[in-house]
Formats: sequence, structure tokens, C-alpha cells
Amino acid sequence: MSGFLELAISGLMSGLVIGLAALALTLVFGVARFANAATGDFMTCGAYAALAGFTATGSIVLGGLVGLAAGALVGVLSYLLVFRVLEGRPSVSALLASIGVGFVIRAVLGLIYGHGQQVFQLPLVRPWRVYDLRIQPNDLKIGIAALATLAVVFLILHATPMGRRMRAVADDPMLARVSGIAPRKVMLGLWAMGGAVAALAGVLLGIKTVVSPEMGWEMLIPVFAAAVLGGIGHPVGAVVAGVLLGVLQEIATPYVGFTYKLALAFVVLLIVLLVRPKGLFGRVEGVR
Amino acid sequence: MTLSRRQTLAGLAGTLLLPALTRGAFAQTAAFRIGALNPVTGAGAPYGSGMQKMILAAAEMVNAAGGAGGRTLEISAEDSQTQPQAAVLAAKKLIEVNKVQAILGTWASGVSLAVAPLTNDAGILLMNTSGAPALSVPPANAKGLLYRFQATNDRFGRAFAEVAKKEGFKRPATMAFNNASGIGNTEGFKKAWEAQGGKVVAEVVYEPNQPSYRAELQKVLAAKPDVIVMGSYLADTTIILREWFQTGETTKFIIPAWAANPQLVQALGPEVTEGIIAVDSISNEGSDAFKAYDAAYQKAMGQSGLSNVYAAMTWDMVVVLALAMEAAGPNADVAAIAAKLREVAGPGGKPVSTFAEGKAALKDGKIDYQGASSILDFDQYGDVTPDFSVSFASKGKIERKYVVKL
Repeated sequence: MSGFLELAISGLMSGLVIGLAALALTLVFGVARFANAATGDFMTCGAYAALAGFTATGSIVLGGLVGLAAGALVGVLSYLLVFRVLEGRPSVSALLASIGVGFVIRAVLGLIYGHGQQVFQLPLVRPWRVYDLRIQPNDLKIGIAALATLAVVFLILHATPMGRRMRAVADDPMLARVSGIAPRKVMLGLWAMGGAVAALAGVLLGIKTVVSPEMGWEMLIPVFAAAVLGGIGHPVGAVVAGVLLGVLQEIATPYVGFTYKLALAFVVLLIVLLVRPKGLFGRVEGVR
Repeated sequence: MTLSRRQTLAGLAGTLLLPALTRGAFAQTAAFRIGALNPVTGAGAPYGSGMQKMILAAAEMVNAAGGAGGRTLEISAEDSQTQPQAAVLAAKKLIEVNKVQAILGTWASGVSLAVAPLTNDAGILLMNTSGAPALSVPPANAKGLLYRFQATNDRFGRAFAEVAKKEGFKRPATMAFNNASGIGNTEGFKKAWEAQGGKVVAEVVYEPNQPSYRAELQKVLAAKPDVIVMGSYLADTTIILREWFQTGETTKFIIPAWAANPQLVQALGPEVTEGIIAVDSISNEGSDAFKAYDAAYQKAMGQSGLSNVYAAMTWDMVVVLALAMEAAGPNADVAAIAAKLREVAGPGGKPVSTFAEGKAALKDGKIDYQGASSILDFDQYGDVTPDFSVSFASKGKIERKYVVKL
């Protein structure tokens, strides 16, 4: 039983990473109306920046903040340089462009840092024993950082004027415009936030695993699955679905086999979409 | 003297064409064309340049000794990028444009498996340094044109079993990366271990790119193994060992040396990696052939030949091929040359260490080339059996303790 709980905790950690990345994806989708395939590479940017910050300062918290800032910057830059230009075109052109943006980011990171792996040199500690349960202090910190970020994002979305504008644009861009909301500012804020959230997911993934130019890109499939499962465009849905996928994968794989982790995620996705085509939290959209 | 424009043009055209013509004519009668297809970029990049330079250096040496079977060797070099797709394009170019009669030095198993159908179709040789057991048998080796200069993953597995026995382990478990190489290692280990009457207490095959391998570890550790035998790469090994250490368990590990290398120690620190056993195939280090290769490697790369086991293999590829050409006689075709490969390298002849020595000895009878990478006795599958080094990580350093011969 304790083994089962440990797996659930481990799944929760993986799930938070997936959920954060899915949140970044869904934030951008809500307003820009396309699935940003460069989300994974925003993660990678965040991880490398955090690693540089951590090496320079020796503090993982400062490193993480550098990572967040880098993610926001990359988000804003790719909006200004690429996606703003494509506004008003069919969303498939933005999707294709985002694949290109991701490719460029990966290539640049590969050129600068090489393709070998890098790691966060954090001290490794033995787990705490709570009854028969082993809990990693590091996992706990990662979990707290993720939850704190989620709280901040939801505060911004639901308790600030900027967030209200974001939600208004996401709801109905035309109506938002006639009510006097400047979409450009909203877009900038959104890309910055999406980039920062993706970067945090990358930092957490980097701390748990290794940092390499392909790390974020390789996570993209479960991230897409979580975004769709949560009801694409729905922030809470993305996080819940990510955590759900992570936990489910971990606790089920001892029974179905470890090579089927990803397949299992898709079986869940398939079932949910068959029963509830709009995803867990989504709603049916009207035709605009 | 003044030249008209027409004369100048004609003269220029003439001088430009002349070398091309002579080279063409020369090639038809007196060159054996070889493609050097090595991982110059990508995951194999630490080895690829050295491998390619040794093919060129060995060919130069053969040509300096008067060529083989009346022909000189001509090398066309390409980069496989350690990617099957890129390697297939490069192999197509080597076969169709350069008209090579052998491709030497493919590295990753995925690359060799992808190139094999092309070389089989063209009826030419493919000499590789890959580990996947699938390269021994049809369909990859349908025509017997594949020769492998590296230990198979199966032999790696046997070496792992030898080490586990020698170190007195009783309850091994295995963890393998889900690909031909990873599973090949642990399956080879299991076969050898069970043949000695042992039992493997748990086996896990895992997918790459996971945020966590805790479920996998938990399954393995639940069986209470005293050692975990890995078929893995650097990145997944780093993550798995970090999580293993944080569980507080005290299992030992036997890991292939391409994963248990200095980068791993650097990433995890001395405490986590203490006592890890790294197993690697090694060159035929005491031999005269190795001395010849080592000198060439130092000259080309400015490093010891010990730093690149694969370069010793590509060196041997050229020498063995040239000796087989010499044995097969002038203008022999690929099939006739392939038929001589086992003869010049197999046991039973006069032992030789260099091409020149072998060429001279062939006039008096059979020879046995003892390579720089191993003694090179090809078995029925075209595979060789190198020796293995067994190293232990201790205080942040990986040091060789002993050598295992299969």
C-alpha cells in the first residue's frame, strides 16, 4: 500500500510538470487560437537559463527566477517577431510557424551548449520516512514551487484587471475590442505569462531529470494530451488533467508494463473524448 | 607569345579535364573504392572523426605498401550524423555516385540496420561497430556481407554475467532501455546467467524521456536484488541512479561504460556513484597491431589510441579488407574478397600485425591477422569477440580493475 502511495506521489510530481506545460499551452491557445508547438522548447529555454542562473548564484530560487524571466522573454519575443505577423491568417499557419520557432530554439541551444546532458548539481538527500512512506524533500519543494506558481497565475487571471481583460479576449475578441480593451497589450501579457509558466515546467523537469536541448520537445505529446483532456483553452482543466495523467501513468504501469506509459495516456484521452468530446472542463464553442 | 581567347579557353579546358580523365581511367583498372560512413556529428561525435581519420590513415598505409591485390584504395568519406535517415542518404550517395565496393565504420545499431539493406542490394561489404544482435542474422545479414568489429550486445551480456559471478552476486535484476541495444544487453546477460544455473529476480524494460523512473525502480527493488544490471544510456542512467540513491536502497550496479562514464560521475557526484561497475569492450592493447594503430592515431588526433576503441576497429577494417584483397588476387570481385576475410584473420596461419607484414607472408602461405581492436576471429555470423575491461567507480574516479576474456 505504501508502495502504491509512493507511486501516486511520484506521479503527482510528473503530473505537475505536465500540467504546468499544458497550462502554458492552454493560456496561449485561449487567446491566440492555435496550439503552440514551441511550448516544449520554451520549457527547455527556461531550464538552461535557470541552470546558468543557478551556476552563477548558487541559489536554486534565484536560478528559477532567471529561468522564469527567460521564458517570459522568449514568449514575448516569439510573439513580436513571428506570431504577431501571422495574426488574422488561418491558425494552421501559426501552428506551423510555432514548429519552426521551436526548431530554431533547439538549434540555437544545441549550438551554444552542445547536445550533451547537463544537470543541476543539487545535493542529493535520503528520503524522510513517514510511517512506511518515503517522501523526497526535493519532491516536496518542487511541488510547493509548482503550486505557488499555479496560485499566482490564477490570481492574475481572476483577481487583476489584466486577467479580466485576458479572459474577456479569450471569451470573445470582437466584443472585448468594442468594450475598449487593447488586444495587443493583452497578448503581450499572455505570451509573457505562457512563456514563464512553460519555463517553470522546464526548470522542474530539469531538476528531476537532465537538461538537454531536446528535453522539452520530447515532453510535448503528454503535454498536448493533458491540454486536450482538460478541455483545450481551460486553465484549471489543463492542470487537473496533467496531474491526472501523471498519477494514472505511474500507478497503472506496474500492471500494464512500463513501455506502455504513453499508450495508457492516450487510452485515457480516447475514453474521455468519446464520453465527453469537449474534454473534462471544456465547453462547446459556438460558431463565430 | 600572345594567346588568342580561343586558345586560352581550349588550354584551360584541357588542363581542367585532364586530371578527371586520367583519374577515371586509373580508377577503372587500379582502385578499390571504399566509403567511410562515420558518426562525425550527433551522439557518436566523440568517436566519429577519429574513426574516419583511421580509415584514411590505414588506406594511406596500404597504398604506401604498394596497394592490395594490384589495386590502391580510394576513400570517400561521409558523415552518418548518428541518424539512420542521414546515414541512408549518405550510403545511397556512396553506392550510386562514388560506386564504392565496401562501406566501413557505421556506429549506432540503428544506423547499421538502416544501411544494411542498401549494401545487401548492391552486393557490397558493410563493416560496422554496432552491438545489436539483429545484425548477426537475416534479414540484416542475409548475404553474409556484414562484418562486425565490436562485441555484440549479447557478448556484453555474457561479460556482465562473468563480472556478476566473479563479484559474488546472487540475486541480479535487470533494467533495459527499450531499444535493440538496451534489451540486447540484458537479454544476453539473462541467457548467460541462467545457463550457469542462476536466476534473474526482476526485469524491467523502460521507455526513454520520462520525468521520473520511480515506478520502474520500485518494481525492480521490490524483488530485493543485490545487483542491477543495466542496458542503458547516459541520460536515463543519470536520472535512474539519482532516484535510486534517494530511495535509500544500497544495491550495486553493473552498467555499460558508454553510460557509466566520467560525465555520469560528474553529474551525480562521488557518493552516489561509489562502487558502480562499468564494463566496456577494449582494444587488443598489448599487440603490435595496436602499436601501429596507436602511432597513427597520435599523429592524426594528438591523443592516445586508447581514447577511442572504435577507431582501432576502423583501422582493422581497412587492414583486414586489404589483406583479403591481396589473398583473393588481382581484380577479384567483392564476393571473392569477402570469401577471404575469415581466412586472413582466422586462426591457423602465420600471425601478422600489419598490412605490409601480411602481404609479404601471404606469398608463403596462410596468415592470421591479429588486430588492433581484437584478435579478429570472425564467427559464422561475421562477429568478433573482444576482451572486456571491468572498472569500478571510487571517490569520483572510474578505474580499471581487471580484464574479462570470454
